[in-house]
Amino acid sequence: MKRIITDDQAVCWGVRLARAEVIAACPLTPQIQVVAELSGLCASGDLMARFIQVESEHSAMAACIGASSAGARTFTATSAQGLARMHELLHRAAGARLPIVMADINRTLAPGWTMWSDQNDSHSRRDTGWIQIHCESTQEVLDSTIQAFKLAEAVDLPVMVILDAIHLSHASEPLGIPDSAEVDAFLPGRASRRKLDGDDFHTPGAPASPVFDMELRLRHQEAMAEALTTLDTVDEEWGRRFGRRYGAIESYRTEDADLVLVVSGTVASTARHVVDQLREEGEKVGLVKVRLFRPFPTVAMRKALSGIPHVAVLDRNLSPGHSGILAGEIRAALYDLGPGRRPAIHGYIIGPGDREARPETILDCIARTREAAKNPDASEREDTWVGVRS
Amino acid sequence: MPDDKVEGDAQHGVPSIAGTAGSTLANRSGSGKAIRPVYQDMVAPCNAACPVGTDVEGAMNLLREGRVVEARDLLLRENPMPAVTGRVCDHPCQTACNRAFFDDAVNIHAVERMLGDLESGVHTPAPARTHKEKVAVVGSGPAGLACAYHLTRLGYAVKVFEAESEPGGALRHGIPEYHLPRVVLAREIERIRSQGVEIQCGVRVGGDLPWKELESHDAIFLASGARVNRPFELAGQDPADVRPGLEFLHEAKAGDRGTVGRRVVVVGGTDTAVDCARTALRLGADPVVICQGARADLSASTEAFDEAIREGVRFEFQVWPVAVQTSERAEHEKAIDAIRAMYVEGGSDWSRTRLVSVECVRMRAVEPGPFGERRSLPIPGSNFTLPADTLLTALGEEPDLDFLPSEITRKGYVVKVDEFGRTNRPGFFAGGDITGEARTVAHSLGSGKRAAIGIDRYLREKAGEPVAPADPKALRYGGTGNFSITRWRGDDPVHRSGEVNEVVPFERLNLAHFTSVPGKPDRHRSFEERRSSFAEANLGLTPNEALAEARRCFECGVCNQCELCLIFCPDIAIQRHPDGHGFTRSEQYCKGCGICVAECPRGAKVMRDGP
Repeated sequence: MKRIITDDQAVCWGVRLARAEVIAACPLTPQIQVVAELSGLCASGDLMARFIQVESEHSAMAACIGASSAGARTFTATSAQGLARMHELLHRAAGARLPIVMADINRTLAPGWTMWSDQNDSHSRRDTGWIQIHCESTQEVLDSTIQAFKLAEAVDLPVMVILDAIHLSHASEPLGIPDSAEVDAFLPGRASRRKLDGDDFHTPGAPASPVFDMELRLRHQEAMAEALTTLDTVDEEWGRRFGRRYGAIESYRTEDADLVLVVSGTVASTARHVVDQLREEGEKVGLVKVRLFRPFPTVAMRKALSGIPHVAVLDRNLSPGHSGILAGEIRAALYDLGPGRRPAIHGYIIGPGDREARPETILDCIARTREAAKNPDASEREDTWVGVRS
Repeated sequence: MPDDKVEGDAQHGVPSIAGTAGSTLANRSGSGKAIRPVYQDMVAPCNAACPVGTDVEGAMNLLREGRVVEARDLLLRENPMPAVTGRVCDHPCQTACNRAFFDDAVNIHAVERMLGDLESGVHTPAPARTHKEKVAVVGSGPAGLACAYHLTRLGYAVKVFEAESEPGGALRHGIPEYHLPRVVLAREIERIRSQGVEIQCGVRVGGDLPWKELESHDAIFLASGARVNRPFELAGQDPADVRPGLEFLHEAKAGDRGTVGRRVVVVGGTDTAVDCARTALRLGADPVVICQGARADLSASTEAFDEAIREGVRFEFQVWPVAVQTSERAEHEKAIDAIRAMYVEGGSDWSRTRLVSVECVRMRAVEPGPFGERRSLPIPGSNFTLPADTLLTALGEEPDLDFLPSEITRKGYVVKVDEFGRTNRPGFFAGGDITGEARTVAHSLGSGKRAAIGIDRYLREKAGEPVAPADPKALRYGGTGNFSITRWRGDDPVHRSGEVNEVVPFERLNLAHFTSVPGKPDRHRSFEERRSSFAEANLGLTPNEALAEARRCFECGVCNQCELCLIFCPDIAIQRHPDGHGFTRSEQYCKGCGICVAECPRGAKVMRDGP
């Protein structure tokens, strides 16, 4: 079945096909359509789930934690300030190893007060122990939402499916909706290994002494490592059933490239267009799209970028006082490649606060990289702001 | 401690999540702080406001649990006649009700009336006589009956002497039938008699029965009431058509509906004045009440005034009568009166003249007097005439103290007593209207109870029994309400935790836990019916409606075991008490966060520091 719908609706289709059992959410632009649509589906009975309307995102996540602990397939959605408000409980959900799935619509954190998109809300939740998947298109949003449940339940970790506000949430694209029986075969009902049981008392999240706690953190880390391989398995099965694969990262025309762009989110589509254009003109330019941000696909990234002379990382976010967050991650990942294999990494800040990233912006980044390449002694670590008003 | 039994997937010596095989009781979350939450039952404002001294809140709590007869019996502990007060009391409890700040005050008096009217188990068995002493009560109005009732239930032999032919005092002769039906009063008096109270009617103490004889009793309670009409004289007055209002009410109640004519003028702002007007209205008149003061100066109850207005009684404020005009009666009127005289005992009201009109003057308020009393002066030239067939005076009543033994100390027009009803003469107690008590049925019932406690203490001390020193403040609900006989007896059937005798401040309530439910006002008979009938005007509420009203009660300041503290406690430090009453708090788990105190809907919990 094909439809033209927005990504907020694509999220809902994913949740519906995944047969979530409990949804707790607090409406907040630009996620509001998700709440409206899902509550409607629950009310109409099209989705046999309990919808819990709460007064805050903190309560939303608390309700999700309770529901997931009880063994229910649980979903929530939020954005920006709402995600920040959840922060404490994000740790709780991950530490308790609960396979909650959340859609985060990347919206700029206030102030200034804006509905537009950047990635700081999810990036600053980087260390909460959640798996984070960035999406480029409507189809990827729907597919990732369903994949997320499978991945989460396989490794007992919560998953954040991340999509750009406005550019995805409020934009309509053609969407192929998978057959529901096929989705059921891909994703059977949740079989939790542990759940709350009134007749058999256990205390999840009980206090741990220093004698045990470090090992618990290690197990969390190991589960993250497991998620890397599990994502591949899940993605492979998805591809087999539905004909679409995404991977942890996607390399696009990077063969023989002397310059590769690294991006995540919707800007990947613009970058893809620019790469195609330049390739036609004979330039050896490629693209790496980062889909999985946590766990960070370090090995895949090294493999994709090893030996590439110049890498330009385009960040639509900022770690104030340091650099673009993706650029920092790439630098750390590639450092161990060693001289000769390690690319020169050029960081570009192109869009906190949702400054428009047009093809010209990306061409500008490429031109600057070419220029910088002429001077091999120039500092690589200084990010360049592109598109700021003079 | 991690749980190795969770799933058998242990690695590095730990399972995948922190967990225990047991409950969270493994986590002793207590902080050992001195500051801690304690349960503290306080006093609801209704209890403190009740002139009788009733555990209103306690009864509501029982009703919420469906324990209707127990609720009635809780009222009967303190108030011998809830069916009467549920009808005639001006319910200060409802004025004090905290629910009024939320939606509407609980319709307490309708609930009380419903309980008073309950048929089941009306007569509890007469209590055993445990004291040898005998007590005499002079007067069978509310004060006398209350004192006799409470003393009998304390184990004394009590005999009530009533000058009239039937008991009830002001309840019988002063309150119209449409307000307090005789059958209701009869039932209440029967209930009091069932407790062993002996009532002898037609005996005038000091006359039929000399004081010397009465003094064979071990204690005497004086409650002869106030029935002397304040004197009222007007230029041109003729006694036939200018009558004391109380006498008119008494006759109307006794069945002699009399003839008042169509145009009736009532002078005064008292309850008696309003009752006279409403009674005259039911006899076919168009009554006008004239009051010296303004609307705010009325001493009549607001409810009675409002009902009178609705029924069509006219009020003229800041007006005073200065003279009456009469005319010679027509021959046929004289003949009718003469015939009437043959059938009416006590002679004829025969008079040669008849009332034609009342001349009035308008008044203006002036500075209050030296004691803060309101004053007004006539406005010169403002005289006007009200046509009138009958003029009724209702300026208030005073007690007749002339029959009392002379050595009893007076204070102005009343007998001087202390909080326990003691006069200056040992063994002599007094209450109700002959003391300075407010002139309401409820206040009289309350003063009778205080005297009963005073008499009990006096007799037991006299008998050499050890009696704990009585602290009046501790006996009073909230320290300022009326005495509680239950507190005096120390046999409260209601379980209370950490009782504190103070009214709970409104701010202590957590209104977030209540939902708005509009109050249910009393039902009333139609105005058309009321104009021609003495049937009860106020119909109260049906039993189901009254129970619904009871469920609206906040139960201010008192733990009703709603369990919100237990639910909200983040450390599961609160448990139900094993005996089923209240809760226990575990120091091992309570960290003194105070959430339970903040969440308590009724302010029955406080944080306490130190011992």
